[in-house]
Amino acid sequence: MRKKETASQKAIQQQVAWAAPVLGLVLLLLLPVFARYNDYVLQVFTHALLLATLALAWNILGVSGSISLGHAAFFGAGAYTSALLSLDLGVSPWATIPLGGVLAAGIAAIMGLFCLRLRGAYFALATLAFVEIPKVITDNWDGLTRGSLGLVGLPGLPSLRLGSYHFDMSGSLVGSYYFVLGYGLVLLVLVTLLFRSNLGLALQAIREEEVAAEAIGIQVQKYRLLSLLLSAFFTGITGACYGHLIRYLEPGLVYGLHFSAIPMIFAICGGRFTILGPALAALVLYPVDQFIFHPLLPAGHEFLYGAVIILAILFMPSGVWGQLRKGHFVSIKTGSIE
Amino acid sequence: MWTTVLVSGITLGSFYTLVALGFALIFGVTHTFNLAHGELLVLAGYVAYWLWKTYGVSLLFTFPAAILATLVVCLILQRLFSRLREPMEMNSIVLSFGLAILLQNGMLFFFSGDYRLIRVPTFNQGLHFNTLYLSYGQLTLLALSLLVIGLLYFLMRHTFLGKALRATIQDREAASLAGINVGGMGVLAFAIGAILIGLAGPLYGCVHYLYPTAGLQATLLAITITIFAGVGRIRTLILGGWILGFAESGAVVLLGASWRELVGAVMLITLLALRPQGIFEREQ
Amino acid sequence: MSLLKLEALSKKFGDHWALKEIDFSIDEGEIVGLVGPNGAGKTTLFNLITCRHRATSGRILFANKETTLCKPHEIQKLGISRTFQSSRPFAKMSTLDNVVVGRVFGGEFHLFAQSTDIDSAKQLLELVGLAHKEQTPAGDLTLSEQRRLDLARALATQPRLLLLDEVVAGFSPVAVKQAVDLVRRVRQRGVTLFIIDHFLSLSLRVSDRLLALDHGEKVAEGRPQEVMRNREVIRAYLGMRHEDEPHGA
Repeated sequence: MRKKETASQKAIQQQVAWAAPVLGLVLLLLLPVFARYNDYVLQVFTHALLLATLALAWNILGVSGSISLGHAAFFGAGAYTSALLSLDLGVSPWATIPLGGVLAAGIAAIMGLFCLRLRGAYFALATLAFVEIPKVITDNWDGLTRGSLGLVGLPGLPSLRLGSYHFDMSGSLVGSYYFVLGYGLVLLVLVTLLFRSNLGLALQAIREEEVAAEAIGIQVQKYRLLSLLLSAFFTGITGACYGHLIRYLEPGLVYGLHFSAIPMIFAICGGRFTILGPALAALVLYPVDQFIFHPLLPAGHEFLYGAVIILAILFMPSGVWGQLRKGHFVSIKTGSIE
Repeated sequence: MWTTVLVSGITLGSFYTLVALGFALIFGVTHTFNLAHGELLVLAGYVAYWLWKTYGVSLLFTFPAAILATLVVCLILQRLFSRLREPMEMNSIVLSFGLAILLQNGMLFFFSGDYRLIRVPTFNQGLHFNTLYLSYGQLTLLALSLLVIGLLYFLMRHTFLGKALRATIQDREAASLAGINVGGMGVLAFAIGAILIGLAGPLYGCVHYLYPTAGLQATLLAITITIFAGVGRIRTLILGGWILGFAESGAVVLLGASWRELVGAVMLITLLALRPQGIFEREQ
Repeated sequence: MSLLKLEALSKKFGDHWALKEIDFSIDEGEIVGLVGPNGAGKTTLFNLITCRHRATSGRILFANKETTLCKPHEIQKLGISRTFQSSRPFAKMSTLDNVVVGRVFGGEFHLFAQSTDIDSAKQLLELVGLAHKEQTPAGDLTLSEQRRLDLARALATQPRLLLLDEVVAGFSPVAVKQAVDLVRRVRQRGVTLFIIDHFLSLSLRVSDRLLALDHGEKVAEGRPQEVMRNREVIRAYLGMRHEDEPHGA
């Protein structure tokens, strides 16, 4: 009797696991139409998508069990690299955005040198402190970065020419929206492949039982470094896109606590042992914040993020999506999207 | 010039020790990290600022209100921490990080994002000893910091409660076998920690600008000094505070004020890298 | 020819000798039981062989190669796997994935799990009797199932030498009997076994030889019956020290 129930529950879960993301994707693709090209709605969802990519990138490290409170270091590094290369050298953003990711990964390598021997809470504290280093350097290296004045007049997101078609990604909000959506989908596919690959298995094994992982031949430090580098790389790309999207940078903005906190909060609330959870949390929480709390509480509306993370860690440590999936986290075998 | 570094290093360092005390005590007794430490400090500062600005209350009489505010928040935080699952250290970081965001936004709502400073006119006057200049502000900061540190030292060394706290810090299991209520000690640590933050907050508001996100710097320096000292040694905490104070003052003189923030961060990362297993493991 | 050879192997923790001058060797295809009271140094010996801890002095040779200073993952690559006294499953991963990950990292690395990897992982689950639980998160298995999963995961790495740390502690007589069969089947796959077995319930039945430790020293080795008749071993198990020995005994 009980078994039957769990079987039907499982079937429902499987269906939810399939239907929800597919429905979500259709909604996202058609959103500009539904929103009747309303500027504000488009802006909010563009930003929500960008934050979703940030959360996805954060979770490449998160899935290995490390919690980073310092991803703003990579976000800021990516944003500044891409902005300066395109502003000062006139390089196309198509090239500078990936380079932003590369520099972010370079910074992650330095961070890894000092922090990867640390575990759990101590790793988190070290990352929290680490952000100060690129931030203060950016703030003070006036000759290169214009210091605390920040950068203005960044080129917009790159445009795409395919034959006679010309997708203008920077000129219109709809273009920017689809650019970020496209990047988000590419990242989602990559993250899914990564998590389902043997690398992903290794990262999860390290998270669950480091000693046992080592005993079956997993080189723990190598894989932890790899996940940090990949996570930083994509965080850097997201940072670069952010810069070209809002066309304005300032050290306190891109290296601020906000961009360290946000991906951690979305990933944990959504479910850091799942693939989709972090992105879903971003796509739900950020619009809720912007459409409901921001009008009510112009100053202080972000208390929402503090409240949800406290509730999540107390009552749902594996996140909402993780809870729905009831222990069916990432697997090579289940055949579901997760 | 170096005498200035010396004086400001000792003043700043003593104050930093005061700022770190509450954090270190809570961490030592309960093995939880309170990342909202700096926000609590800024909150206490705002309470003092608000009383001083709107009602003209003198600084001395703002302390009780500031302590009351931090006490309420700290005891709520203690209740929340007590419901956390393992791993406690990690989960306490995430939870208190959430509380920090809550507090930042609360303060933004009530006090706006403007920079505030409690201006005590006499603090800018001072005494000259040959080339050495000491402002009354520095003197007050130094005296009050050392006084509070001294009081806590006395409490921990010579009272029954203090001894129970120290026993809990050194070995929780042995302490509980000896009949000490370890859970109760945790509540006590949060209460004393709150009082310490409530005392430091208004002073902080006199020497630093208050704004809703100012707390992170204070949190980082409290973590740095605590990790430097390990747990349960007030004398080592003072040493850590002074070293940080000197290092920051030195950096300001040598490199300029804008590099100051880097000192604490670099020191913390270095300390952690040297002691990768964390604080408690090393002592086993 | 000996597969594993220990030469004067010693380990000191602080002032305490956890192991002292152990000389021993295991031949290919043998099943050897490692017995002794609590604190005899059994798990320490496993930790030295798998290089989780470094020997204070002495040498370890595996297949004629010195491995004393290897890293844990290198030891695994050479062909030594182990299970743990308290089993350590990857709790949030499915039972099948637990075994697949052993297979993937024990063998040749591919970026994506091959169907052969998954098939052989399924066979191993069949072997240990967990085939019906392959999609269950490992953390939801019972304790004895987790022990068997540990064994399957270790076997998945295709070891030449498998170290089993207390696989049957707390098992019912029926479960012990199943474990005896299981160990024999593992041996048929060509794996040499070294088994820690405090209560002797498994090793007396399957072992070709026993090594008995007490207080970090080797007190006996040889055929199970001989070792169990050894006065030193009996004394160690009854908890008597030399000074406790009654006069005239």
